[in-house]
Amino acid sequence: MAAEAKIFGKVQTAEQEHEDPTEQLMFDPRPREEMNRMVMEMMTTTTKKFWLFFFGLGGGVVVLLFGAWGYMISTGMWVTGLHRPIYWGVFIVTFVFWIGISHAGTFVSAILRVFKSEFRRPFTRAAELMTTFGLAAGALYPLIHLGRVWVFYFMVPYPNARWLWPNFRSPLVWDLLAITTYLLSSTIYLFLPLVPDLAMARDRTTGIRHMAYKILALGWRGTEAEWFRLKKAIQIFAFAIIPVMFSVHTIVSWDFAVSQVAGWHSTIFGPYFIVGAILSGVAAVVTILFVLRSTLKHMDYFLRPEHFDALGKLLLVFSFAWGYFFFNDYLLGWYGGEAAVRQLLTAHASGPAAWIWYTMLICNIGIPWLTLWNRKIRRTPWLMFIITLLINVGMYAERFTIIPLTLGHQRTPFDWGVYTPRPIELAIVLGTFCLFAFLYLVMSRLIPLVPVWEVQEGQVAHTLRKVGKAEIPTVTDLE
Amino acid sequence: MYSKVVHMALFKEEQIDHAAEAITRLRSLGIPDRDISVISGIPYSERILDRPMSWTRVGLIGLAGAVAGFIIALLFAFGTPFLYPLRVADMPIFFPIPTSIVVVFEITMLGLLISTFIGVFVETISPSYGPKGYHPKVSDGNIAVLFSGPMDLDEKFHSTFAELGATLEHDVEEEKLWL
Amino acid sequence: MAEVSKEIAAKWGLVVDQDRCTGCNACVVACSMENNVPFGGEDNVAFGRGTYWIYNKRLWEGEYPEVAPAFQPVMCQQCGSAPCEPVCPTFASVHSEEEQINLMVYNRCIGTRYCANNCPYHARQFNWQDPDIPEPMNSYLNPDVTVRRRGVMEKCTFCVQRIVAGRQTAADENRPMADGDVTPACVAACPSGALVFGNLSDPNSRVSQMAANERQYKLMDELGTKPKVTYLKGGGRNGG
Repeated sequence: MAAEAKIFGKVQTAEQEHEDPTEQLMFDPRPREEMNRMVMEMMTTTTKKFWLFFFGLGGGVVVLLFGAWGYMISTGMWVTGLHRPIYWGVFIVTFVFWIGISHAGTFVSAILRVFKSEFRRPFTRAAELMTTFGLAAGALYPLIHLGRVWVFYFMVPYPNARWLWPNFRSPLVWDLLAITTYLLSSTIYLFLPLVPDLAMARDRTTGIRHMAYKILALGWRGTEAEWFRLKKAIQIFAFAIIPVMFSVHTIVSWDFAVSQVAGWHSTIFGPYFIVGAILSGVAAVVTILFVLRSTLKHMDYFLRPEHFDALGKLLLVFSFAWGYFFFNDYLLGWYGGEAAVRQLLTAHASGPAAWIWYTMLICNIGIPWLTLWNRKIRRTPWLMFIITLLINVGMYAERFTIIPLTLGHQRTPFDWGVYTPRPIELAIVLGTFCLFAFLYLVMSRLIPLVPVWEVQEGQVAHTLRKVGKAEIPTVTDLE
Repeated sequence: MYSKVVHMALFKEEQIDHAAEAITRLRSLGIPDRDISVISGIPYSERILDRPMSWTRVGLIGLAGAVAGFIIALLFAFGTPFLYPLRVADMPIFFPIPTSIVVVFEITMLGLLISTFIGVFVETISPSYGPKGYHPKVSDGNIAVLFSGPMDLDEKFHSTFAELGATLEHDVEEEKLWL
Repeated sequence: MAEVSKEIAAKWGLVVDQDRCTGCNACVVACSMENNVPFGGEDNVAFGRGTYWIYNKRLWEGEYPEVAPAFQPVMCQQCGSAPCEPVCPTFASVHSEEEQINLMVYNRCIGTRYCANNCPYHARQFNWQDPDIPEPMNSYLNPDVTVRRRGVMEKCTFCVQRIVAGRQTAADENRPMADGDVTPACVAACPSGALVFGNLSDPNSRVSQMAANERQYKLMDELGTKPKVTYLKGGGRNGG
């Protein structure tokens, strides 16, 4: 079949790309009725394995998240491994991790939509769900790490009996505003393109499901005015949510950058964190897409090697970008910065926790740069699953290096410390992972996971046109 | 509300050209554009079907929301220090401009996005013009042309649509699609 | 509603003469008794969970066998441009215009610990657990100072309760505050007189004169924190 691209030697010929157009989703159209049926079956089929995971993950959420967190609330923060001078540990590391993951959805559904990348069509909703649930998991952490979580509302701006407003100069209040904005907007942005598919589900269900879809579909018929309004709103959202997405992770990075902590007070943290978030997020999208493709009925029609290929290319680009920003931060601190920063960088790379630093570099740079240039690897879903899991391990290690390892190695050696997470902290962290997976699992059976109208729209827009002697795939802009 | 009878012609998803042709013929039979409405499972531009452009106020509502958000943000950032002045570090108490930019941006965007959604919601549940009617086949990809016309043209309708390969439904009941 | 005081604020300051400090830790004990600081126990302190508001930083100098300790008592530096203040989301760490020190407002603290991370002197402590005060130790508690429960930050306040008491005494006696009216617990307890406290805006006060000493330096002042605590470099005697 298709000849392989070799490292040195022959150049891949143009024919291989388009040898069989029906391999690509956009050139393999099925009747809408059939696609609807596939998506409905995907949504309503629950196997024994599903229920196993449902109760397992649900139990994990109850015991690990609520149980361990409840225990910590009732006895105190002393159950964690935190101590002077490391006052922020895995809770904040995981917080930044989840907020990073949540950038996936917006990247796929907003940025790729704005750039008219057609390959985004089958998985925008799956990615948007990741954003919503990643934020749901991440937004718990500003509550989890509080010493007095029962008065968290002191941070919320509303006229109150204390006659006091929160400190709008604090990055934590910016965090609250940014994450609230992002959570609400991405939920709405998930909902808007969902409406036509909810209408489809409304027409094909009965009973409680039918009632629920009927209410949520807002009486959608598909008139020209409705479509026009929807497209306009989606356009506004797509353009507006991109700066919101950038601002959210920038503000999270400013939790660190505005401080005087050596190693944190760096102007590059804003873009550095954003690029890291997109890398982490897109990797998580690929991970989830593999899981969806393997477990959901008919998903292999919608998610094909071409999608993993395209996302893999993006991952390689963002891995390069991450490496660039990391090196920027590293070089300038090492070259002639504050003595404390130089010592810190040496400690990162050669201290007792250096294995974390090396994990970060191997997983974020080594593995992507060695594998993702290869088309065959990119088109193998299970390989991409492993690679992207490792990328996210690397990104977690990056946040761990930045937060506890840096806090423990500041300017005065008398105040240095080593942080080891304790079981309760790890239980809560694992609990939020269970929460994310559980919410995703449940949602996959409640709403149609594939935006069928967008897939069909794309298929209608893609044709094969004869140019010269060849049949060239073309995309039209139906607007 | 219209007391006229509403007819619906269903075209299969590949028959977009036929649907466009049908609309032209309806117009030549004397049915005005406001008595025709097209419903479909994917968006078709009005130019494809030779229909007048739709309009929406969602953009304006969004803009109004952004302005509201901007004002609220200014009140938060610059108004609250007047209510309870507190000094932190040696930042200015009363006009902390650099830090306020963050607050202003976030709440403005929140205002924009929430009001856009509210606009969509309100416009969707508001009464619309044009023939009402729905058929579940529309979400299966079919294109439905809804129109209401005088009874004496019934024969002409039948022949037109049979020629173009559509199925014609009569007395399409206005099913309550929402609350 | 708070009103910003327009009268000229007293600028409280502390001088630490490292030539006189013997590292006896009397200041630590006195501070803990005055300010109801819970005693955490050996294990807690070893783990880094000790909540002492003033700590004696012992630095070893020299190679064995000519090793000599240097003692540096460190407490909250009451920075003029405190990095702990702007980052608190609930205004629990604010600057007092009247006393020109950094105030710790326990009631507003929700325990984000951002201020602790941002303090370059690591002078802020967090209450990881509820204090364990068995009978009859509760009768030793100072009624002028709140007993903090878990989840809030705490730090040296320059014994603000004594500052306020001194201010009120002076007002009762219809006179301005004099040098020596206010003595924080650590200053009162120091046997060698290494700690001196007073009004830095009064050029005649003892603390102003000592702060002008040629041996003076401030901790990490290159960070721009403008600390109110001045250290006098020791001469190598008595562990200074």
